[in-house]
Amino acid sequence: MKMFGRLSLVVATLLVITLIASGCSPKGGSTTVKELSGAGATFPYPLYSKMFDTYASATGVRVNYNSIGSGGGIKALTDKTVDFGASDAFLTDQEEAAMGAPVLHIPTCIGAVVLSYNLDGNPALKLDGTVTANIFLGKVVKWNDPEISALNPGVSLPDLAITVVHRSDGSGTTSIFTSYLAAVSPSWKSAVGAGKSVSWPAGVGGKGNDGVAGMISQTKGSIGYIELVYAVQSSMPFASLKNASGTFVTPSLASSAAAAAVSLPDNLRIMIVNSPGKDAYPISAFTWILVYKEQNYTGRTLAQAQALKKLLTWMLADGQSINEGLSYAKLPASAVTKALALINSMTYGGTTIP
Amino acid sequence: MVAQPSRSDRREAARERAFTAASLVAAVTLVATIVLFLVQLFITSRTSRAAFGLPFLWHSEWNPVTEKFGALPMIVGTLVTGFGALLISTPFALGIAIFLADYAGRKVAEPVKYLISLLGGLPSVIFGLWGLFVLVPIIGKFEVWFGKLVGSKALVASGTTGVGLLAAIVLLAIMILPFSASLILEALLVVPTELKEGALALGATKWDTIQNVELPYVRRSTVGALVLALGRALGETMAVTMVIGNGMKMPTSLFDPANTLASAIANQFLEATSPIYIGSLIQLALILFVIAIIINVLARVILRRGIQQ
Repeated sequence: MKMFGRLSLVVATLLVITLIASGCSPKGGSTTVKELSGAGATFPYPLYSKMFDTYASATGVRVNYNSIGSGGGIKALTDKTVDFGASDAFLTDQEEAAMGAPVLHIPTCIGAVVLSYNLDGNPALKLDGTVTANIFLGKVVKWNDPEISALNPGVSLPDLAITVVHRSDGSGTTSIFTSYLAAVSPSWKSAVGAGKSVSWPAGVGGKGNDGVAGMISQTKGSIGYIELVYAVQSSMPFASLKNASGTFVTPSLASSAAAAAVSLPDNLRIMIVNSPGKDAYPISAFTWILVYKEQNYTGRTLAQAQALKKLLTWMLADGQSINEGLSYAKLPASAVTKALALINSMTYGGTTIP
Repeated sequence: MVAQPSRSDRREAARERAFTAASLVAAVTLVATIVLFLVQLFITSRTSRAAFGLPFLWHSEWNPVTEKFGALPMIVGTLVTGFGALLISTPFALGIAIFLADYAGRKVAEPVKYLISLLGGLPSVIFGLWGLFVLVPIIGKFEVWFGKLVGSKALVASGTTGVGLLAAIVLLAIMILPFSASLILEALLVVPTELKEGALALGATKWDTIQNVELPYVRRSTVGALVLALGRALGETMAVTMVIGNGMKMPTSLFDPANTLASAIANQFLEATSPIYIGSLIQLALILFVIAIIINVLARVILRRGIQQ
């Protein structure tokens, strides 16, 4: 009995200490927030890790970002286990409904998807939306098809079968590419549609950018889509595309940024594919950070909301200078203005976050 | 007068009881894990089961955009690659095991055995890379040659990539070879020497002995080894993903891009967001689980029949 008495005393003491400690920590955290967490898209991961690294040394606030994929990021934000999510595709109405509260889409950079190919002599190819859609629909099956040669006078195209390579995993890249095809080709829109994974009418699938790039580089006559960043880093050839205003545009940081330099809706929840801009590369898209508009949820403190707001504001100001060094296009000034307005519309308990 | 159990006896008995309890817990945990797996897969796939019902098993459309899902192409892909690999690798596995057990001297057998276990321990992504960069181009050439041989314009024209069902079958055959070979070898090594010597004494040749004494003796373990190897082939993900072409349509030839259940799940789960899409992927896992169970049960039934005869 005596022994039990002593034991229970120890247990009780431990319990009290734990309780006090756990009761203390949120109070301690309410003055300074040293850590934020986010999860989502893999595409902007190199950019975000550099940005957050710079941010930590400038302000002392660490940001943990898990690049688990856009889908995972959306799930994590829905479950409210992170401060922000990140996605290459904007939320569908269904996903937004599942969130239970309004969510803001804050763009951070612009990505471009390029058409890379493997042909002898690496000729510089020109393509337009219709031909690209027909190739991926499996309707144009030879490189010397009149549809392709009409766009490429002076280039000798071989009598070779076209092997289409697409992503086998669900990805924002696929979402951007198929959104473009759906925007330029009615037959693509009705037969396949747009999404992170689609039912491909033709071709073989590779996992990730590297899987697609690997398949392209070892198959003569292949064509596939990869991110601009990846194509530049692995020096793969890519095609110029005819944009909505009829100009052939080579994908680059400048031409993908130009795609966003048009009039945008205030909520920035838009695919900027097939942009009307004169110098715009047509397969360009925002990648977004997702946050709840109302920050007072599941016991979040005002300090957490303030820290998040500060981080997002920084990413659109000083943070943008990091973009181009890592081959991500900067947001044009007009998009930054709208994005900042979105950040400033965040609330805590119904009032603007100071 | 009954002798009192000594102190050390009592301690012995307590230890015995504790050990029995611990073993029981371990055994129950194993059973519970398997049952819970099934229950969990069953519960989390309810959205897709509710939406598609049993026809999920024989519908061959897989369209995440319209959210129409059917598992048939992946079921076919899984079974064709698994059994195809088994068919190719089994003769080699038997040959290797018999050679090492009965023909090779120690000096040859030991290093070869070591190499086999090394091959078995290689991470599958390495097999996948080798498959993509070495095997796939070879199969691509074979495809063109075969297309000309049978006069199929379609094969020559369209399928020169080499990725597809056949590449996955050959790669899997190589990957499961170490498992079946080393398990059959272990079995052959424990065939009692008296049996072998008896057969030889009766005037049987070495091949007679192998055929009539050793192989019947190891039949049970061989089937066991092959089932294990098949299990590995059915569940292999990474290497298959890299060479199978990941087509979600029903394959019509061995050169077509296809997909397996495991590879489809690994490819699409991360970015799947809608409940029906996730449910359908989980139902693929459930189907894979059930296939594994059916194959194990079948193997047992075959074994029991073999023994009764």
